[in-house]
Amino acid sequence: MATAKYTPRPLGLDREFFQLAVTTGKLHLQHCNACGHHQHPPRRFCAQCGSGDLGFVPTANRGEVYSWTVSHFTVDSGWVDDLPYATVVVQLPEGPRLVGAYTGDASTLAIGQPVSIRPEARTEDYCFFWIDG
Amino acid sequence: MNLSGSCAIVGIGETDYVRGAKESSADLILRASAQAIADAGLKPSDIDGILPSANFLSSEEIAANLGVPNMTYSVSVLMGGASPTASLQSAAMAIACGVAKTVLVTFGWDGYSAFRRERRVGPQRQQMQMPFAEVSRNYYAPYGVRSAAQWYSFYLTRYVQTYGVQPEDAANIALASRRHAHLNDKALMAGREMTLEDYLASPYIAEPLRKLDCCLETDCACAVVLTSVERAKDLPHTPVVWLGGAEGHPYPADEITNRPDLLKLGLHTAAPTAFAMAGVKPTDMDVLEIYDCFTYVVMMELEALGFAEPGGAKEFVANGNIELGGRFPMNTHGGLLSQGHCWGLNHVVEATRQLRHDAGRAQVADAELALVTGYGDLGDGSVAILGRGDR
Repeated sequence: MATAKYTPRPLGLDREFFQLAVTTGKLHLQHCNACGHHQHPPRRFCAQCGSGDLGFVPTANRGEVYSWTVSHFTVDSGWVDDLPYATVVVQLPEGPRLVGAYTGDASTLAIGQPVSIRPEARTEDYCFFWIDG
Repeated sequence: MNLSGSCAIVGIGETDYVRGAKESSADLILRASAQAIADAGLKPSDIDGILPSANFLSSEEIAANLGVPNMTYSVSVLMGGASPTASLQSAAMAIACGVAKTVLVTFGWDGYSAFRRERRVGPQRQQMQMPFAEVSRNYYAPYGVRSAAQWYSFYLTRYVQTYGVQPEDAANIALASRRHAHLNDKALMAGREMTLEDYLASPYIAEPLRKLDCCLETDCACAVVLTSVERAKDLPHTPVVWLGGAEGHPYPADEITNRPDLLKLGLHTAAPTAFAMAGVKPTDMDVLEIYDCFTYVVMMELEALGFAEPGGAKEFVANGNIELGGRFPMNTHGGLLSQGHCWGLNHVVEATRQLRHDAGRAQVADAELALVTGYGDLGDGSVAILGRGDR
């Protein structure tokens, strides 16, 4: 019996990350104001230079397929009716990678395949990312 | 301080591997622990260090129930399935520097019953603590990605795509484990045949993982007792000396998908450290006890350990090389895949039996050196290199 999909209630930096996608419709990434490094998920300090001077910058909602999981079994009652479903790791041109739900045909997924990211606001604090092939 | 050879495994204990234990996980842990202490020819009051992996039962509770009046060292490693083997390193440090003289390392759980509430016996105790819980709940769980099979497939997909690994390659590991399980009365899958056709017909859980690529869920417990090599000489069994070990963590350890190289595991840094400490090389090993949560993970571990180049494990596991009679017999007890899932402490127990020359029908002739790995959370790794000691 399917139930509603789980919606997290993120806190702190994670909340900021999702809120920006909710309000702008664009995936934002954490960006180091000192050295220009992008990182995801957001952290307290820059992994490249150690600076604590970090902010968020918008992306173009695009990337390419880096890897994926195609689930044929799930312990998540919110997803049983979606089986099988593909969850894609998207390589973003800025450097970091994003996990999202793939909307295309999972059997033709290939490394390097161009994809676009479609944010869908679920609450004021959480945004779900669809990956269109 | 050189830790190599500072301590030895002198006692082992192990319950059966079952689905639906009549005892609670606490009782299983205590029974295996008492068995290991008795096997060492010791009394509970001889124990002064207690290292319970993941804290399913606390060191305080273990001490109180067994009758350990003077506990001078206690710690629980939080590396998921890498914890028990990493705990051996912690035991070696404690013994080498005199913080403890005789250490109990134990793990047990209701790994089958805990996930099936209607079959549970008694109330549920502590939940597992996941060091990556925050990332998981915000970035994986919303997508219906909630299990180890799914998390690991983020990099296993990349692995099979990069190196052209086929299901038939992974099948070699599942089939070898099953053949070994038939020699072990304690193995859950002893006597249950598996063919390549069975393997290929088993359904996907999360591609590339089929059901028969996945370890078993069992209720079980194991325990080992370690003490100084000097003291070990007065005890009943041939000591099994801890020659070297290490733990390693991929970076970042709490998130898989943003690692610079998704195919680098904690074991890639732990393995060279452990081999250097022990002063041996992979080809010196007589027995391999490799943490086999999933077949494809075993392949990546074998490469991290140096048994094959990246992508080369598929050749290493072929043609009976990892079976009894082959050059590198692996998981001679049936492993997590066909014996049962005790977070790899069952691998330590089996390595000890092999080096005592007490492994029954699965004995590797004249085994002198054994390699054990642990693997857990989102790719943490641990290693123990064990050697048959002198009497």
